Amino acid sequence: MANLRDPVIGPVIRAEGLTKVYRSGPVEVQALRGVDFTAAAGEFVVILGPSGSGKSTFLNILGGLDTASAGRVWFRGLDLTALDDRGLTRYRRDHVGFVFQFYNLVPSLTALENVALVTEIARNPMPPAEALALVGLSARRDHFPAQLSGGEQQRVAIARAIAKRPELLFCDEPTGALDSATGIKVLEALTEVNRATGATTLVITHNAAIREIADRSLRFADGRIAEEVVNPVRKAPTEVSW
Amino acid sequence: MVIAPLRRKVLRDLRRLWPQALAIALVLAAGVATLILGNGAHAALSDTRARYYADYRFADVFADLTRAPLSLLAEVSALDGVLAAEARIVKLGRPELPDLTAPASMMMVSLPARQGAGLNRLHLRQGRLPDPLSTREVVISADFATAHGLQPGDGMSVVMNGKRRMVSITGIALSPEFIYALGPGEMMPDPRRFGIAWVPRDMLAGAFDLEGAFSNLVVQLAPGADESRVIAAIDRLITPYGGGGAVGRVDQVSHAFLDAELRQLGAMVKVLPPIFLLVAAMLVHMTLSRLIALEREQIGLLKAIGYSPRAIAGHYLELVLLIAGCGILIGFGAGAWLGAGLAQIYARFFSFPFLVFTRDPAVYGLAALVTLAAAVAGALQAVRAVLALPPAVAMSPPAPADYRRDGGHLAARIPLRQSQRMLIRHLWHWPLRTGSSILGVAMAVAILVASLWSPGSIEHMIDVTFTRADRQDVRITFATALAPAAFADSRHLPGVMTAEPFRAAPARLTKGSRTKRIVIEGRPSDARLSRVLAPDLRPMAMPEAGLILSEALAEALDVRPGERVQVEFLDGRRARVELPVSGISVGYVGLGAAMELQALNRATGDGDLVSGVNLQLDPAQSAAFLAHAQDAPGTSFLTVSDLTVARFRATLAENITVMITVYVALAAIIAVGVVYNFARIALSEQGRELASLRVLGFTRAEVTGILITELAVVVALAQPLGWLIGHGIARAMVAAFSSDLYRVPFVMGPQVYATASLVVCAAAVLSALAIGRRIGQLDLIAVLKTRE
Ligand SMILES: Nc1ncnc2c1ncn2[C@@H]1O[C@H](COP(=O)(O)OP(=O)(O)OP(=O)(O)O)[C@@H](O)[C@H]1O
Ligand SMILES: [Mg+2]
Repeated sequence: MANLRDPVIGPVIRAEGLTKVYRSGPVEVQALRGVDFTAAAGEFVVILGPSGSGKSTFLNILGGLDTASAGRVWFRGLDLTALDDRGLTRYRRDHVGFVFQFYNLVPSLTALENVALVTEIARNPMPPAEALALVGLSARRDHFPAQLSGGEQQRVAIARAIAKRPELLFCDEPTGALDSATGIKVLEALTEVNRATGATTLVITHNAAIREIADRSLRFADGRIAEEVVNPVRKAPTEVSW
Repeated sequence: MVIAPLRRKVLRDLRRLWPQALAIALVLAAGVATLILGNGAHAALSDTRARYYADYRFADVFADLTRAPLSLLAEVSALDGVLAAEARIVKLGRPELPDLTAPASMMMVSLPARQGAGLNRLHLRQGRLPDPLSTREVVISADFATAHGLQPGDGMSVVMNGKRRMVSITGIALSPEFIYALGPGEMMPDPRRFGIAWVPRDMLAGAFDLEGAFSNLVVQLAPGADESRVIAAIDRLITPYGGGGAVGRVDQVSHAFLDAELRQLGAMVKVLPPIFLLVAAMLVHMTLSRLIALEREQIGLLKAIGYSPRAIAGHYLELVLLIAGCGILIGFGAGAWLGAGLAQIYARFFSFPFLVFTRDPAVYGLAALVTLAAAVAGALQAVRAVLALPPAVAMSPPAPADYRRDGGHLAARIPLRQSQRMLIRHLWHWPLRTGSSILGVAMAVAILVASLWSPGSIEHMIDVTFTRADRQDVRITFATALAPAAFADSRHLPGVMTAEPFRAAPARLTKGSRTKRIVIEGRPSDARLSRVLAPDLRPMAMPEAGLILSEALAEALDVRPGERVQVEFLDGRRARVELPVSGISVGYVGLGAAMELQALNRATGDGDLVSGVNLQLDPAQSAAFLAHAQDAPGTSFLTVSDLTVARFRATLAENITVMITVYVALAAIIAVGVVYNFARIALSEQGRELASLRVLGFTRAEVTGILITELAVVVALAQPLGWLIGHGIARAMVAAFSSDLYRVPFVMGPQVYATASLVVCAAAVLSALAIGRRIGQLDLIAVLKTRE
């Protein structure tokens, strides 16, 4: 794993002058106003900021779900801004894992099957059972989402996101719908997979305390990165006061 | 006033859901249209016929005889139950026109002495009635006049009783007696080759040596008279004069064909509209259930702020009623349009002085009412859920759909891709919706199967009748039965290669309480031209003494081979004998019975007689043959098989094309309606899942494929069910269409199923394409930001 974190390889993901303008009729919303960002392999980054500051927009563009109005994004040597829908789909499929606030599991598939849904289309996946083991849910593999708690569903979502061994793991408020105890379990799962797979992990959260578990934290404000703090020491999720 | 915002919501919902609403409205419209079409055409035909009969005094009882003195009429009129009786001369003549090379015949019917009096009165289209004293003037039937461009004032020649006479046309008319004007020996009306001429009595009497006599009797019954008793009394009176086969309206050709048509319409009304209304009710239920599930939070909110459950339920009902209203209006238009088209088809078959497709508000009102009821029935079940929803529950989002019990274990064990597992579980999770969608698509297939089989069965009918059974090129029917010498003469006509005599003996067959009036055909035991076929379609040898009955006749009399039937011959010596039934034959036209020629002649006791000959011709000499044969002294009329078949085919082909076009359109409406609604609902339910899959890196094609596969499974499962239902409907139709006039063979080939499935699948693919576009437009990000 050490070589993956080697800065010599350079940043995994890099953004330059990222701008996003939403236009609906006469109204124009500047969601991003020139964001520059890089993340190294294996880095764990927490993103904070008030509501409407552009965090989700930023993550979505990095994840290939949305396109920028101006500026550029590179994944390693790949210029995402030059890709069409087909290319972005390919990029998401091969390199990105997502975790969202509302889990977005498929209700008709069991935990294991939800993970297998992704491993079936991945180039170099881990066995679905191994992914579930990483998030501590081996015992619940045959349960449907309706039989799982919110935190468990979110952990299945994490297992599903990392089972393909993505280079990038993007999480948008993964603990937003959970209580603190459950949230901590989810964060533990995230730090564990970050450690085990070396995926560069970006986590959006409203809980400022969470930044302590990261290598680095960014604070968004009004479409810009207003502050960047590097943590010399990462805390374990259990040490975070919620 | 409280309702106003809800009413605005109805309109907004309708605007948003318009493709689904339209699909449902069209299925409802198809139900309305077929109801109006069926009931309306039925009403139009039967009312028009009833009015025509009443206004023009259509007779109730009809009898042909050889020759009776006019004095007999007074005895008939004096019979109990007879209101009016008319003694007529009705004979077959042969029209000669420059544009008429094919054999043709003209029914010559005498007119009463007093102009415009009597029964079966004429409806004059043009011109005037003949002067009763004229020996030249005639009125001819409108269809024949049109077919030959004849006008009042024109002349033509008619061969009557072997002598050519010039007649002059004074008028063009219709008669209730010939609404369906079928020429002798024909299967379909052909106005070019068959016409009717109404002629002053004296002129016909002179031509046919019937001065002071008559050959045909028509009788109108007094109200409440017992028809069968009057018929028996008439038969007793006319038997000495070569009569004895009086029949009621049921056996009068024109009336019987109209009855058959009415019965078919009745069958259509029983089958088609219920299918559409059932499918529409299912669609309403499906769509409304989904809408209510989507809006449960709004419903909860409305309840919480004090709207009564009734008001909210009423809101959804209003939406359904609006859709039904649209469907009913479209259906009214389509029904009236199709009805006008059907009236045109009828005008080709039936000559009525007036045939207006009904504008009876009762027909429209009934259709509207039944349709509303179907739509509301579909809605009620769904709306009940609104009433039951407590506000608090309604406002909390629904828990993820619970798939625990849905045969998950089975699907888990089969090695499947997860996406396939998803769609199977999804289908299984909504058994009612999946089931009704399958049933709906199956109905579309069934409608097609039930309509597409008919061309094949008609070809089969033609094949059996003309290439296996009646293989003669021409049949000559003599005016009266003749000695075998007449048969010998016909062999020497130009171009005759093979000749076989036949004898046609009208008879009444009785078994127990059942009786049928038919013609027994005698033919040589080794007949090669006109043959009798066993049910396996192999020619049957004629038994030495017994009768062979057609399946239809055997069923009508309820007899089996080996049993005996009473036979009462209706001409000649009128012998009564008992004959064994030796076999059962197939035949699709009329009720038939056959015997060996000599055996028949022995049974009648009339001596060695032939009624005509069946001939095989050298095609090169057919013109010469026709010229000689028509003028041969004994000839009454010729039946040319090619012409009969061509006319049969042409007439049916036209109607079947129209019919199949209509049925394909109806089936497509169902298929599109069901598939589109099913797909929209599936997309609405799984849109979130599908968008999530896109986020996870599934391509547009893969995600579209999942939904399309789900549709494909429904459509595929529907096929065998549709074939089965269609098969059943077709069988029921065969039974409903069969009458004493004809029976329809049931021929259902694999290509019928294949074509039906192809049409429905094409309609399904079109709907799928419309949905595919929507999947492409799924908003990936919106899905992630919101809870369901
Ligand atoms: N599809 C859209 N159309 C118009 N404006 C949008 C759209 N999506 C986002 N915005 C606007 O862009 C800005 C940034 O939105 P974004 O979702 O990135 O904020 P956020 O930081 O994630 O907020 P939150 O913490 O509430 O999730 C907001 O002002 C938002 O209203
Ligand atoms: Mg956000």
